[in-house]
Amino acid sequence: MTQQLLNGVFRGSIYALFALGYTLVFGILDILNLAHQAVFMLAAFVALALISALHLNLALASLLAVVAAGLIGVALERTAFRPLRGRADSRVSSLISSIAAATILESIALGVWGPDVTRFPLGVLPAPGQEVGIPSIQLVTIGVSIAMTALLTWMLQATRLGRQIRATAENPTAARVLGVNVDRAIAASFFISSALGGVGGVLFGLAFNASPDMGRSVQLKGLAVIVLGGMGSVPGAVLAGYALGLIEVFTVAQIGSSWSDAASFAVLFLVLLVRPRGLFGRSAARLA
Amino acid sequence: MSLDSLRDLWLTYQSAVGFAGIGALLALSVYTTLSCGQLSLANAGFMAIGAYTGALLTFHSSLPFPLVLAASALLPALVALPLGLPVLRLRGVFLAIATIGWGEVVRLCLVNWQFTNGALGLVAIPQRAGLPTIYLCLALVVFVLWRLRGSRAGYALEAIREDEPAARTMGIDTTAHKLAMFVLGAGVAGLAGGLEAHFSFMVAPSSYTFGRVVDMLAGAVVGGAATPAGPVLGAVFLTLLPELLREVSRISGLAPGALRLFVNGAILLLVILFLPNGMISLPAALRAWRRSRKARHAPVA
Amino acid sequence: MRPMSSPSLAALFLSLAALAGPAQAADQVVKIGASLSMTGAAAVYGATQKNGITLAVEDVNRSGMLPGVKLEAVVEDDGSSKEQAISVYQRFINQYKVAAIIGPTLSTMATAADPIAQMQHVPVVAVSNTAPTGITDIGDYVWRVSLTEKQVIPGAMKTAQAKLGFKTAGVLYGNDDVFTKAGWDVMKATLEQLGIKVLGTQTFAKMDRDFNPQLTSLLGQKPDVLVISALAENAASIVPQARQLGWKGPILGGNGFNSPSFIKNAGPSAEGVLVGTSWNSASADPVNEKFKAAMAARGFTADQFAAQAYTGVLVIAEAIKQQGGKAGREDVKAGLAKVKDLPTPLGKFSFLPNRDGQHEPAVQIVKDGKFQILH
Repeated sequence: MTQQLLNGVFRGSIYALFALGYTLVFGILDILNLAHQAVFMLAAFVALALISALHLNLALASLLAVVAAGLIGVALERTAFRPLRGRADSRVSSLISSIAAATILESIALGVWGPDVTRFPLGVLPAPGQEVGIPSIQLVTIGVSIAMTALLTWMLQATRLGRQIRATAENPTAARVLGVNVDRAIAASFFISSALGGVGGVLFGLAFNASPDMGRSVQLKGLAVIVLGGMGSVPGAVLAGYALGLIEVFTVAQIGSSWSDAASFAVLFLVLLVRPRGLFGRSAARLA
Repeated sequence: MSLDSLRDLWLTYQSAVGFAGIGALLALSVYTTLSCGQLSLANAGFMAIGAYTGALLTFHSSLPFPLVLAASALLPALVALPLGLPVLRLRGVFLAIATIGWGEVVRLCLVNWQFTNGALGLVAIPQRAGLPTIYLCLALVVFVLWRLRGSRAGYALEAIREDEPAARTMGIDTTAHKLAMFVLGAGVAGLAGGLEAHFSFMVAPSSYTFGRVVDMLAGAVVGGAATPAGPVLGAVFLTLLPELLREVSRISGLAPGALRLFVNGAILLLVILFLPNGMISLPAALRAWRRSRKARHAPVA
Repeated sequence: MRPMSSPSLAALFLSLAALAGPAQAADQVVKIGASLSMTGAAAVYGATQKNGITLAVEDVNRSGMLPGVKLEAVVEDDGSSKEQAISVYQRFINQYKVAAIIGPTLSTMATAADPIAQMQHVPVVAVSNTAPTGITDIGDYVWRVSLTEKQVIPGAMKTAQAKLGFKTAGVLYGNDDVFTKAGWDVMKATLEQLGIKVLGTQTFAKMDRDFNPQLTSLLGQKPDVLVISALAENAASIVPQARQLGWKGPILGGNGFNSPSFIKNAGPSAEGVLVGTSWNSASADPVNEKFKAAMAARGFTADQFAAQAYTGVLVIAEAIKQQGGKAGREDVKAGLAKVKDLPTPLGKFSFLPNRDGQHEPAVQIVKDGKFQILH
């Protein structure tokens, strides 16, 4: 049972890291960035490439991969989202734009690394058998996710950039009047959001191997997470991530694995029908 | 070109033409909800319901094919009614997410149920739908949507798309209109599903993923979601594009899968950024651009 | 200089003509279309199948087995999508005018595309479809070289049980793919037959990556053996995760495991995994040795899927030979029926009356990073 608990928290950590990215972008721009999963995936491949080709150690490769992910996020914002900002239907077109960007990024990964699953080279992680039956990657992931959440919360609350981001999320016009460089705040949000996705991606790749379509399964679960947690809420994304991870694992343990995915979507629907705002969401989910 | 080689050319591309027609229907099913400003991504689920309904009726009943098709359209529409009521109250992104979730639920049910034969799906479906049937259905749907557009209901839809709260203030029953479009879209998607089932011999849950609905959306957006002609153009273009790309990848040596994905993504991105009203607005957009250039270079009076 | 006399001139021309003779009678080019998954979930199998086919075509042409006939393979990607598979088939049949088609990698694609070949009377040879029904059932133009799970798993399980003596099992299988679900159906029946108690059954989907919950649940019941039916891609994650959770017992895999990519991606965790296979890689049969050597010479990894694809081409070539070198579609179909005990890398191959394939399967164990035959 403790192992299942650990499994749930581990899975929840990945969901939380992923959902944090979604929620940051939604909080500041009110758009759903469906290219997030592609950045998540690319980070894993970049880390993999750095380790295999340049023989960098795991820590350095991961750091570089995460930074790369952040930069891709910034580029994404510039090319796919900024041009649409003024438009009346910007939410719908941004969604579509993000889907297009995701497709492009996925095709690049497919072209460069091929469709196969690629494992991180051995020796990067402790080999099984040395474990006491608890996979070390699980503990690392949980630890990193908690650390990242703490870091993000501190950044948003205690730093100037964090205040600017929050101000922009609250009301971009007012923020601009108050002297906030809104464009820079948005770019920074995208950087952080994608970097967090990158962290999740590298951990996911280490745990489960990398493939160009690895983001797809997490993407849909990520939607359930942000709906449950509330769009735009950092504590919401984290708590909902862990909650969903645990729900899924316990559905497998008690009912059967076929229904664990259905459980996530059932949660999604229930929340949308009953309280679309989610646990901590601020924005109106229903029309007036 | 001899008659034989023409016939061979036709036979080679016959399936692609059929799938293009089905793709057009699917793009139109997304267009119906887009036309009143709703981004509903539910239609892969409705298509699946229509497809399986049609196949099961063909296997277990002796209904004539037109009735089978009618059922393929009707059942998803009936399901859409109770689903639409709560779901359409959600705005923008939340509607999109709810409908994505719906699609996944349908797919998961199909994979897990014995009675739909799980992952293998239903095979050996007789080919009851040919090109004439597909294009007849397409023509019918285009006609209905075209008449709708010019009607009073059509103007109401456009008002809702422009500004929903304002439309409501003007006295338009926005809920009823949106629901009607949602149900209509479900019916069209179901019809397409039924046609596809009887054109391609089998149905399986793997055909109805989130990726499928993205393809439908791409068809509507790339073609242009202002008139029914747009999605038809977009879908036909995107369905036939891989055939062209196959030659490109053969010549250039690029991996066909990656190339196809890249081109699809790039086209969608370019359209949404630079030609938001789709390919069908290209002539008008070019004219406007040329006019603006002429105005800029005109001699000052 | 005196001009050459007429007789010598004539002799010169005649001998020149004789030299030019054979070159003028051009070989008949017979095309075989191969619709393979080069992208998508089954891409790893498609790539190796292509190698097997390419090699087989070369070998047949070089061997002189079919005088006056030159085989040519046309390989296209069906992207694991049924629309594309159908499209590819139409191209093969109407544009390239192939004499036969080597069927799609995945059974699901086969159920969509093979009916087209059947309708247009073009023989199809399935080389990796293992769904028990729905393949050769399509019609008398559809033939199958790959053994179904029903033909492979029982033997593998019996051998494993004889060696390891297990009494209880935990089962994990992919329920959203025909390949793996069909495997589970057979595994379930065989376990029952052998009197092995199934303590728990869990499922997963192709897209899943995290199998810890399912594995924890199964391992918690302390079975003697873990039985898994999965595609190579998933297997490569499942096995290491099982080991990381502390499972030290035996693992028995289904047909999807039969790819070196499984070993490559599972790493050291793959050691000791048992897999039933259609291809006895250790067989000292000369045809098999030659196959392995030729694959190695080209830098290809020899695996079950390549061996099956290679055999698919051999079978078609044999069919043409049986028809006296005639390679029309009807000839190929008639010739396939005459294939009996054909020497192939898979062993002596024949078709069953229902056009499924038949030859001796084997059991493998992963040892030292390679598949080795368990005797």
